[in-house]
Amino acid sequence: MELKIRKSGENYIIDVNGEMDLYNSYRLKELVMKMLEKKVERFIVNLEQVDYIDSSGIGALIYICSTIKKMNLRLVITNIHGSVKKVIELTKLMGYFPITPTIEDALAKLEE
Amino acid sequence: MKNENLVEGVLEIRVDENSPLFDRAGMLHKEFPSDFRQIRYFTLLIVQSAPPEIKEINLLEQQISEVIKNAVKHGNRSNPEKKVMVWYEFSPEHAHLIVEDEGQGFKDLEKWNAFNRNRQSCLDKQDYESLSEYVSFRSATSDDNDGGNALFAALEYWDGGFIFNQKRNSVAMLKRFPKRRHGA
Repeated sequence: MELKIRKSGENYIIDVNGEMDLYNSYRLKELVMKMLEKKVERFIVNLEQVDYIDSSGIGALIYICSTIKKMNLRLVITNIHGSVKKVIELTKLMGYFPITPTIEDALAKLEE
Repeated sequence: MKNENLVEGVLEIRVDENSPLFDRAGMLHKEFPSDFRQIRYFTLLIVQSAPPEIKEINLLEQQISEVIKNAVKHGNRSNPEKKVMVWYEFSPEHAHLIVEDEGQGFKDLEKWNAFNRNRQSCLDKQDYESLSEYVSFRSATSDDNDGGNALFAALEYWDGGFIFNQKRNSVAMLKRFPKRRHGA
């Protein structure tokens, strides 16, 4: 799994590339914690290049979502598709996570 | 077909030593040491015998890997001396597996069912504030890398049953795949 950060205005987009599984999902949590230390306030997690997620990956998403929420900061998860979407649906968390279909929608949501 | 785990409208993990899902006749068998690093590799060795007609193979692999992970980590506590035994059988219409470890058994099963009932009630009310208390089930063997959500999805996915034996160190599961129509 590769994590890349790019910036769009005040919004930080984390592009996740690869599989979010039991061996590497903790790295997304670590990255977000580091960004929070550096006072980043608006996050977009882009899962366009992710075709596999397991319960550890879902756990990482839950962790960053609840941490960012508790701090009153903003997060949107975007481009969820294929089996990643299926796993989140099976876990019934589609309504729990702040989700948009595309990055453009995510940017618009952060402007709300 | 009825879901074996549906109890009063909510999915529950059941214990039933006599479930037909524990009939191992004709099933393939593999054993693995409890090596956490190789969980996905072991899973692939099993999934490779699934026929190409099964779509969403990523999802099947993920769901099997979760059960093997539970056996390695929570059952056998990653003790390499202890084995995980898997019986499996695939067809275009079904996936049937039994995963057994050498641990103490899933002691928190009732606690998990109660937790899931509360979770489901938050979901029914779309009460996402309260749901945040029920997104992750923790047990004595959980750590930061455990999502604590694998079994929620497992009960939904294994729609033909997800049943433990009396000792609760063995779980049998069945997934039914929709029949495909041939021709026009």
